Amino acid sequence: MVPKLAHALIIALAGLVVVPSCNSDDGGALGDVKSLVFLQRPKRNEMGDIFQYTSYRPGGRIVELSPPTADGKLRVLCCDNIPGFEKVDISGYDLSFDATQMVFAGKLDGNQHYGLFVLTLADGKVEQLRTDPQRDYVSPIFVPGNKIMFTTTAVVEPGAPQFRDEYERGVTLQLGIINSDGTGEELGPRNLSHRVFPTLLSDGRVMITQWDHLGQMNAGHLHIIRPDMTSLREAFGKESTGITNSYLKAREISPGRVIAIGSSRDRTIQSGTLIDIRLGKPSTKDGVVSAETDAAEANASYKIYSANVPLGREPSSPTVGRYYDAFPLNAKEFPDLLVSWSDGTVESETLGAAGLSANFGIYLYDTKAQVRKPIWDDPEMWDLFARPLQSRTAPPEIPAAAANGIDNAAFMIGSINVYSSSIAKFDAGSVYGVRVMEGFSSEEGFPRNFGSTMFEGHAQLGISKVQNDNSWLAMVPPNVPIHLQAIDKFGMSLQNEPVWFSGKPGEASVCGGCHEPRDRSQIPNPGVTDAFVVGPTQMMPHTPRAARQSTTYTRDGIIGVPWDLALQPIFNDKCVSCHNGVAGPANPSYTITDPATGASATWVFDLRGGPVNLAVGDFMMDGYSASYLSLAGPDPEAIERAKVMISGNFKVYMRPTDARGSEVIRKLNPVLQFPEQNAGVRAFATSPHSASAGFTELSPNEFYRMILAADMGANFYSRENKPQ
Amino acid sequence: MNSMIRSFVVAALLATSVAPAWAGKGGSAGQIKSAVASGSVDAIIAEIERAESLMCSECIDVMTNLLDHSRYEVREAAGWWFAKRPSLRLMMIDQMVSDLGSGTGVSVRNAADFLGSVRAVDKLGALTAAYDRGVSAEARLAIVRAAGEIGSRSGNALLLKGLADADAGVRTMAVASWRDMSGQAGAASVVALLSDTDAGVRAQAAATVGGLRELSGRARLETLVVSDPEATVRRNAAWALGELGQKESAAALDAASGDASPLVRGVAKAARRSLR
Repeated sequence: MVPKLAHALIIALAGLVVVPSCNSDDGGALGDVKSLVFLQRPKRNEMGDIFQYTSYRPGGRIVELSPPTADGKLRVLCCDNIPGFEKVDISGYDLSFDATQMVFAGKLDGNQHYGLFVLTLADGKVEQLRTDPQRDYVSPIFVPGNKIMFTTTAVVEPGAPQFRDEYERGVTLQLGIINSDGTGEELGPRNLSHRVFPTLLSDGRVMITQWDHLGQMNAGHLHIIRPDMTSLREAFGKESTGITNSYLKAREISPGRVIAIGSSRDRTIQSGTLIDIRLGKPSTKDGVVSAETDAAEANASYKIYSANVPLGREPSSPTVGRYYDAFPLNAKEFPDLLVSWSDGTVESETLGAAGLSANFGIYLYDTKAQVRKPIWDDPEMWDLFARPLQSRTAPPEIPAAAANGIDNAAFMIGSINVYSSSIAKFDAGSVYGVRVMEGFSSEEGFPRNFGSTMFEGHAQLGISKVQNDNSWLAMVPPNVPIHLQAIDKFGMSLQNEPVWFSGKPGEASVCGGCHEPRDRSQIPNPGVTDAFVVGPTQMMPHTPRAARQSTTYTRDGIIGVPWDLALQPIFNDKCVSCHNGVAGPANPSYTITDPATGASATWVFDLRGGPVNLAVGDFMMDGYSASYLSLAGPDPEAIERAKVMISGNFKVYMRPTDARGSEVIRKLNPVLQFPEQNAGVRAFATSPHSASAGFTELSPNEFYRMILAADMGANFYSRENKPQ
Repeated sequence: MNSMIRSFVVAALLATSVAPAWAGKGGSAGQIKSAVASGSVDAIIAEIERAESLMCSECIDVMTNLLDHSRYEVREAAGWWFAKRPSLRLMMIDQMVSDLGSGTGVSVRNAADFLGSVRAVDKLGALTAAYDRGVSAEARLAIVRAAGEIGSRSGNALLLKGLADADAGVRTMAVASWRDMSGQAGAASVVALLSDTDAGVRAQAAATVGGLRELSGRARLETLVVSDPEATVRRNAAWALGELGQKESAAALDAASGDASPLVRGVAKAARRSLR
């Protein structure tokens, strides 16, 4: 069946809400467009979640449709009749600013990885760029300065394996950039999970989708980064601006305004609803609506242009379907879009059960009337990423960020005033310093988890004291995911930053505050901050990854907190004589019952080490020590969502990233840690547990171990006790 | 794993695990079953991930069966689910080690994939013994793949066997895995495979030698980049020479810059510019 006939048949059968197709002289949104280019991929039902990039079916091609109408002529631009490309699949492409070249991500056969190729349109010649043949490179875009940005599984840190995603499963994609002649490949600092779908903005920066994960945080948000892969900042999706789980494939409509796909993380074939996102305050000039003024998440807003498309992972409805991508043709209040759309459920399970695949075709979409005009739909192919084949204005080239000037092999971080915050309210004088923690996933050899909580591996890099003017500054390892906590003088977190960030060697990232209000400026005191005068706290900026682990477990020596090595000795010496798993006043118990089956399990508080005896009552948290299961408990996220009945004295005594709110810490009542340890000063007004129970009090260093264990996610494993 | 053993394992797991419907991240046994019934690998993996914290008798049964799924991606994801449950992981490891010792090709393949997915570093010996038992090429490939997934350099000895395997697919897997072993220090053992009779092996060997900057492979790479009949081998050799960065490779890369293949010439030109 030829595509055009198939297209007509599909439209007729599906009963879509469509109007007759546009033509080249209708003066509409495509009136001055002579041709479109788009990608065709053989249809499939295996794309995976929104971050997956390995899907492969031979037969991908880039085509031109001229004129851009349903009766236009389709011409293959790449890669018919090119030796070596007979089995190619193409996952994404971009058009150069002068519309003379395309860069695409192609996989030549099932045994190879996705690489980058440049197609010259005038002669149809293709050249592969020099990328690592054992790593994937996808989602290339041209950026000013004859460069190409992409995402890749290649690793910036020599000898280190690539991070795994939030499930400790998928190998993550990270950002990189390369000259358009294939030289000068540079890999960016890494997120602890994926970074995908870069898109160029008119100010020369790049917007990406970043998977943010740390504990309860689990979503794909839009971020903006410079082309040199520095100065990452949040753009949309957090701070209550979000409407769905993930935002992807953003394209700029006008300055401060993008069209993106909003969807669930998985099962929706990387497609979803159409969202017009305004990053700042909208304004209109000459009919162009932009939103670059006061761009901040606090000022962001959005419009949904596909009202009935599900925001979650559930199957969609006939005639509603889902959108794979969108390209804005203008910047009206209601912009005209080129979209890829598929009718039907567009959900992998229902498609699989029916033996079907989604069928994405190209449409012109009127966002005001919410009407699709069909342009092209090959029923055997996914027709994707359509755009006019025409030149565009190149954004200004943003020069590389100035180096921090203090240590250009390290990443400098800090704040002007740590008390400036839109998410936390600190009492005056309450913040002693800022704790910086490194994150890593299980790729270093861990058994694909770090404990029963949802937190990745942690290592404390150091604590930077807040200076008299409330500033702080630190030098940390580059290319390493880190997150921050404002801590009090007892070493306990007052505010936990729930996302990871990282910087490249020489980068400086000095914020206004501790997540300062993003819709206003932060004014430092005259002159430089005290932290600059004193100099940055050195936090192992040049210490190799494998060496970033504890040799002692003192306040100043501890890095990771291996449960069995750092904490269990405390329990053995001071706790297990009472807390020994024998039910009684010292050892409360609880029972979990499944109301559906009546099955139940009972757990008795027990601070002994060694593996848990399953016969006693292992109900799901198998494998760890009794002390760990008693204090860290089952995954709090699982508890929240569990459809089970819990009776008795159920508690999670150690709350991840919240030592101050953890019952075990409050009961022990820790002593002063900073600036000097002082066993005579307690954190809470209550009597310490040692006084009533009569055990030898914990030393200040032991208190700090307990606090750090909680504040770093209540994990069992750290580098110090990983199994291999 | 045969069905009788399978049944025993499931029964044993159930006997030692109570069965609350623990629904972490919104998963459920019903949703997993529904996904399995649909036949959609995409949906199955999504539901396995969503069941990260889920514990129920039905889940164990379903996940155990998925360890024998025909697609590697599903077997790997099911193994990951067990890796999240240390005691279940250990019990299943014991059964898989048993399969390694006596199973058929497919069951050995599945057992090896499981041990790789749960990173059973202490079972490298069992994997090696199974390899030496003369199992099928498919099983040997899985064994080598498992060593790579485990990623410990203590698996190098097993990979060395894979490098010398009679099957090209196994050799290819061994070469690719060699590069990503934790702390891998060099690729001298891979250099010989730059002369392998199979083009796929040569291509992977070139990439591994370049990725690990194994200077002893330079001369052979210079030969490959201008004379290998396969474009992917010439391309990977060009990339690798750029990684080695030795000025002695200039002439070879200059010649390769005029290669007729679009896969090679651009890579060679860029590699030429990266020489010291």
